[in-house]
Amino acid sequence: MEIQLKLYGSSKMLNDKEILNVDLPNNSNIKKLRSVLKKIISKKYLKNNLKNLPKTAAFFTEADEVVNDKYKLKNKELISIIPPIGGG
Amino acid sequence: MSLHTAIVKAEEDKISLEKAKEFIISEKNGAESIFIGRVRDENSGKKVIAVTYDVHDQAVIKSFQSLCNDAKTKFDKSSSIFLEHAKGYVPVGEISILIAVSSGHRDEAFKICRYILEEIKHKSPIWKKEHYTEGNEEWLPGHSLRPKEEIK
Repeated sequence: MEIQLKLYGSSKMLNDKEILNVDLPNNSNIKKLRSVLKKIISKKYLKNNLKNLPKTAAFFTEADEVVNDKYKLKNKELISIIPPIGGG
Repeated sequence: MSLHTAIVKAEEDKISLEKAKEFIISEKNGAESIFIGRVRDENSGKKVIAVTYDVHDQAVIKSFQSLCNDAKTKFDKSSSIFLEHAKGYVPVGEISILIAVSSGHRDEAFKICRYILEEIKHKSPIWKKEHYTEGNEEWLPGHSLRPKEEIK
């Protein structure tokens, strides 16, 4: 399956476009997405900048609600990655 | 209407103090408190030329409305609140956030202003990327929204 990851903040270093398509095994949950992200970060040599991202990021569904690690992802689902925030 | 919240695209518009003052003025409210945040030219010893603000628009507006309503309930239901935050590339010296509050009395006006600012830093999905004089740039660290019990 594949999900669309909408990038915000520092996660924008992962791709030139706002959306990153991520391949995942069927029936993956957010926990699996975190481990796949870890691999993507090492592959792109972004470990120095984004080392903690898989651990510290939250994820929003299209309803703009934070989902926990057990949340089951659907094929083609749009998920927003929310790195640690700091506006104001 | 006593609440205004918006995200202002820096490329298209500027946050206006005059608009804020006009919005909050009320004969019922004798105190006004205004907080303005501007982009500073230095951070941790680095010379800053601008900050890019990235914003999750829908979630930010939702959080702005929710935390402003919380502030009203907590401190003064009759208060008027104007809250705008910039999005995009904001050069040094320009306004990144403006919170204007009018309330019955000064204590509530100050408290509401402070409460909103602190809550934004912990609840509203906004990110800062600093641009430095040397030409490099850096996303700033922040506060994780991941449920605490999950972070080990």
